[in-house]
Amino acid sequence: MRSESKIRQFFFPSLTPRFLIRVSFVALGAYLCFGHVLIPIHIRGASMEPTYRDGTFNFCWRGSYLFSKPKRHDVVTVRFAGNRVMLLKRIVALEGEQVAFRNGRLMVEGKELEEPYVRLPCNWNLSPRQVDKGCLYVVGDNRSLPMETHYFGQTPVKRIVGVPLW
Amino acid sequence: MVRIKTILIAVLALILGILAATYFLESEEKKVKKQFDLLSKWVSKDLGENPITMASKAKNIGTLFAESCELKVPVDSITATYTPAEVSSYAIRGRLQFSELALKFYDLTVEFPEKGTAQVVLTANLKGRSMNGELIDETREVQSVLNKIDQKWLFSAFEVVEVLEK
Repeated sequence: MRSESKIRQFFFPSLTPRFLIRVSFVALGAYLCFGHVLIPIHIRGASMEPTYRDGTFNFCWRGSYLFSKPKRHDVVTVRFAGNRVMLLKRIVALEGEQVAFRNGRLMVEGKELEEPYVRLPCNWNLSPRQVDKGCLYVVGDNRSLPMETHYFGQTPVKRIVGVPLW
Repeated sequence: MVRIKTILIAVLALILGILAATYFLESEEKKVKKQFDLLSKWVSKDLGENPITMASKAKNIGTLFAESCELKVPVDSITATYTPAEVSSYAIRGRLQFSELALKFYDLTVEFPEKGTAQVVLTANLKGRSMNGELIDETREVQSVLNKIDQKWLFSAFEVVEVLEK
């Protein structure tokens, strides 16, 4: 009898001030957590395949670069005007470095970069260019798409929002 | 207990009052955002849209624009100025190439640098299916300027921001 009342109390709680305060704290906590720290993301598109598949779900962890700087090979989220829509890309070159594509091979500072995460064939050619100060060069893992349709390039560090949680 | 109840009711009434006031009193920011809602509604196209709806939507799109609207796409070196009639005409031609089209705006930030001018930064997503069955899904950051002319906020400039620079 007592457990039945507990269950009822759980699903249909009395609207006491204590309960309302508790609900407010949970709502505030959820808003802060999922709105600003661990942003839920739905991955759309094939630009990061096979590492991140189209239609999968993840979280953007914003605390990743609180005490460290973005590094080469990190997968990051890049914002547009806000956090509702972001790009998922991999950092391949840092500021001041020279980056190019030669017959599908990524060259950084004139040397081929080892990229075990790129598993699909690529034939891109892009003349050498230097990454500006305060910028990073990001590319998707799926380079089997034509270079013209793949959205990649240098972006200011301030546009990096975080990293995928897994 | 009675006192707590009175306070709770007063707080609730206050919150409802604030919500009602913000809902019914349309701020300038809301009016600007409404123009984007209309643009999104009129550019978007459902499968099997009839010619009358199509013509009416294209005509309506022109009414959202100022006498001259500047379009800048630095990545493609495009700078052009259009009249409302030209915008409507391009809208008709553009929409005819798609069987389905959806234009959505996210993360709108509205600022008023001077009286009668609104500057908006947003993320725009255009998703659709061409008449050949080809799917498009393009997202860009856009900066837009609207001017208040005859009590109406009208688009007077659009610039596509280069988030990733190849």
